[in-house]
Amino acid sequence: MDGIFRKILIANRGEIAVRVIKACREMGIGAVAVFSDADADAPHVRLADEAVSLGPPPAAESYLDMGKIVAAARATGAEAIHPGYGFLAENAAFARRCETEGLVFIGPGSSALELVGDKVRARQTMDKAGVPTVPGMKSCSASAEEFRAAARALGYPVMVKASAGGGGKGMRIVAGDDGLEAAIEAGRREAKSAFGDDSVYLEKCIEEPRHVEFQVLADNHGRTVHLFERECSIQRRHQKILEESPSPALDAGLRREMGETAVRAMRAAGYNNAGTVEFLLDKSGRFYFLEVNARLQVEHPVTELVTGIDLVRQQILMASGAPLELRQEDVAQRGHAIECRIYAEDPKAGFLPSAGRIVFLREPKGPGIRFDSGIAEGFNVPVFYDPILAKLIVWAEDREAARRRMAAALEDCVILGIHTTAGFLGDVIDHPEFRAGRATTAFIGQHFASWGAGEGEEDRRRLALAAAAFEALSPGGSAAGAAGPGRRRVAATPWTTLGRWRAGGEP
Amino acid sequence: MSLAAFELLLDGEIRRISVEARDGALVLREGGRVLETGVRRISANELRLRVGDRSVRIFLARDGDRTCIAVDGRHYVVSEPRTEAGRPGEADEKAGAGGLRVKAPMPGKVTKLAVAEGEEVRRNQTLVIVEAMKMENEIKTSIDGVVAKIHVAAGDLVDAEKILVEVEPTAG
Repeated sequence: MDGIFRKILIANRGEIAVRVIKACREMGIGAVAVFSDADADAPHVRLADEAVSLGPPPAAESYLDMGKIVAAARATGAEAIHPGYGFLAENAAFARRCETEGLVFIGPGSSALELVGDKVRARQTMDKAGVPTVPGMKSCSASAEEFRAAARALGYPVMVKASAGGGGKGMRIVAGDDGLEAAIEAGRREAKSAFGDDSVYLEKCIEEPRHVEFQVLADNHGRTVHLFERECSIQRRHQKILEESPSPALDAGLRREMGETAVRAMRAAGYNNAGTVEFLLDKSGRFYFLEVNARLQVEHPVTELVTGIDLVRQQILMASGAPLELRQEDVAQRGHAIECRIYAEDPKAGFLPSAGRIVFLREPKGPGIRFDSGIAEGFNVPVFYDPILAKLIVWAEDREAARRRMAAALEDCVILGIHTTAGFLGDVIDHPEFRAGRATTAFIGQHFASWGAGEGEEDRRRLALAAAAFEALSPGGSAAGAAGPGRRRVAATPWTTLGRWRAGGEP
Repeated sequence: MSLAAFELLLDGEIRRISVEARDGALVLREGGRVLETGVRRISANELRLRVGDRSVRIFLARDGDRTCIAVDGRHYVVSEPRTEAGRPGEADEKAGAGGLRVKAPMPGKVTKLAVAEGEEVRRNQTLVIVEAMKMENEIKTSIDGVVAKIHVAAGDLVDAEKILVEVEPTAG
C-alpha cells in the first residue's frame, strides 16, 4: 500500500493502545508505544515494536505532556501519531502542534477539532446548519450571577457541562439554586484535571432521555458516510458502561433521519477522519444534537461487529490521505452487538476505584466473543488513569441471542486481585427493562442505585468459604506451599448439626 | 480425611467454620448448619463444586495473605482476622477518646481540603476530596464535631487507609 505510514506512535495506554498497535501490525506499520513509570510492564508496552519512556506516572507529566510525545515520535522516526481516546485525543493544540512539526495526527484537523471541541461553538454551528440542539447557554461564563440567571431562565433541572468535555467528566445535574455554585466549582475542578481547561456552561436537562450516537467517517476529499448508531443509554455517573447496536429505540425512518442529520452535522463542522455525533432522544422520539466526539470511541467495536468495517484501519487510511472507498448504500447493519466495559471499581462499595495487582486473569472466548484488554496477569493497575480494564464485546444474530451470549461471556470473564464491575454488568443485562430494550439514561439510577447482595448472596459466600477452606487443606492448589488461611487450625470440634444448606435455593 | 476449624474474614465479616474433607467431598459446618459439596479441582485456580444438582465454578488465587475468590461472577476476599482489620472503604475508625479518624478509602491524590483545623463540621459534611482514576471522591465525616487535626495537604498522594483528618465529637 503506497503512501501509508511506515511507523505510527500510539500516544495512549491500556486497551485502546493495544487495539491500535494490533491494527498497525496487520497493516505492516511499525508501532511505537509510550509509557509512564507506572506502565513499564503494561501489555501495550510489550506488544509494540518499540517503546519510549515518558517518566513519572501522573498524566500531566506523561501521557498529557505534548513535548515528550512529540520528542518520542521524533526520536523513533514515527510519521504519525494515533491519540486513542482521552488524554490528547481531542486536544486541538496538540493536533496543531503535530501539523506544524510535520507529524500526521490521526484524527480530525486542528480547526475542526477546535470547533467541535468547544461545545459552545459547536452548538452555534449546529443551530446554523439546522441540526436540533438542546436548549442551553450560548457561551461560557465566569460569573455566578450569570450562571444563576441562565439556570433560572432554562428552568431546573439543568446540567453543568465542561466546554472541553467528554466522558462525563465535569458534568453535574443541578436541581435548584442551592446546589448550583458547588456543582459549578466541582465541574470546573474535574474539567481542569481531565482536560486542562475549566470552562463550563449550562444546558437544560432533558429528563430520562436515551443516548443514541452515530458513527461517521469523513475522508480528506469531501466524502462523508455514517456507519449507523450505537445505543449508549446505560450510564452511571454520566459514564457509559454498556453499549449496543442497533438501538432498540429506532425504527427505519428515525434511523435514516438521524443518520442524515449526523452527516449534515459533520459537514457543517468541516470534520474529517472518524468521529461520532451524539444525540439525546426524548420519550416522544424527538432528537437533539449533544456533541461531537472527535476521536475513536471506547465503544467503537459494536459498530465494527455489526457493519464489518475496521474503524482503526479506516482512520489510518484516511489520515494517510486515501479516499474512502465506502458509499453510504454499501453500509448495512447485520445482527446485533453489545459491549460491556469492565472497570476497576467495587460495585459493592459504591463503585470506589479499585487499583492493585491482578493475580489471576481468565479471558472469555468463544464464537462471537471479543475481548479488548489492556491488562495481564501480574499487572499492577495504577491509580493514575481511567479505571477501564477491558471491554467485552459480543455479536449474535439478534438482540436476545447477543444478550445471552454476553451473560455467558461475563461469567467466563474472571479477574482476581482487584474488584471489577463484571458481576454488576451481569445483573444489568438480566434486568427486565434492559431485556425489553426500554432502558433510558435513568435506568442505572432507578434500578441499581445500590448494588450488593442480590439473590443467593449468602449461598455464594458460603461457597467462597468452602473453597477457601478446601484450598487451605489441599496440596496442589494456588495456595500450595504458602501459609494459607488454614494456618489457624484449632481443635477439631464437630459442631452440632441442625440442618442442611441448599445452595441455589432458599436457605 | 481431615477435620479442621477455621476463623476467617470474608469481606471483613468474621466467620467461624469447621471443615471435613475426604474423597473429593467437603462437609462445611457453621453455627449448626451444614453444607455438603462434591469438590473437583480443574486447575490450580479453578474448582468445580457440586451442591445438590447444581455445579458451581469457582476461581481462586492467592495474593499475599488474601485469597481472592470468584463465585458466579462475584468477587470475595478471604483472609485471616489478624491480617485485615476491616474493609478499606469504611472510612471511619473510632480513635481512642471517642474521636473519629477519617481514612482514605483507596489510594489516590488529595485534590482539595474542604475544611480547616478547628472548624466545626456536621455529619455528612465533606472534609477532603480524593481523586483516583480521574473520579473525585468526597470523603465525609460521620459525626458532628470539630476538626482536630489534618494529616494531608492538597496535592498529596495517599495510600488506602492513610489517616486524612481527625474529628473530635462535639461535647454533649
